[in-house]
Amino acid sequence: MKNSLRVLRAERNWTQADLAERLGVSRQTVNAIETEKYEPSLSLAFKIAQLVGRPIEDIFQPNEVRARGKG
Amino acid sequence: MKMFPVKPRWGYLILAAAAWVLTYLAARFVLKEIQLDPWLRVTVALLPVLPTALFIWLVVAGIRSLDELERRIHLEALAFAYPLAILLLWTLGLLQLVVQLPPEDWSYRHVWVYLPLFYFFGLALAWRRYQ
Repeated sequence: MKNSLRVLRAERNWTQADLAERLGVSRQTVNAIETEKYEPSLSLAFKIAQLVGRPIEDIFQPNEVRARGKG
Repeated sequence: MKMFPVKPRWGYLILAAAAWVLTYLAARFVLKEIQLDPWLRVTVALLPVLPTALFIWLVVAGIRSLDELERRIHLEALAFAYPLAILLLWTLGLLQLVVQLPPEDWSYRHVWVYLPLFYFFGLALAWRRYQ
């Protein structure tokens, strides 16, 4: 699954530690989500969406959706 | 009522581990060096169970306080270490049928140390995976 969390975080001038604190997770968890090594649970994904004020599908997309969009 | 009302701290964990090691060493000393009634010897042998139970409770509380990725890392470490521990015990059991393993090196008292080692190795592997 792809995500645009890094971009959304950078737009808000938040560090990974800032975002981690707001989400109540570790900085490693934020980093693992951004580098797409870890897919968050639905509840954490909703928390992220609520925090950045964007619909969840704007932040997280299945690989094939993004590939289709690019084509 | 919450089962783990207090977020565990490293200090408590270290204290519980120290109590565990101390009672274990004390029990070993008493059982080796002091003559006691058999029922008292059994009591002394079971004494380290109390701090061990506290240690386990604190570890579980600690893991419950982690976030979802950290919990996954611990789960992957366990998934690595647990079968490896079974494999070690099976292999030693089979080897004992073939060769006489010296009990001063391969008794339960000596083999247990591999179990946390497997766990920490699994932890390092899982941790690395999500870096």
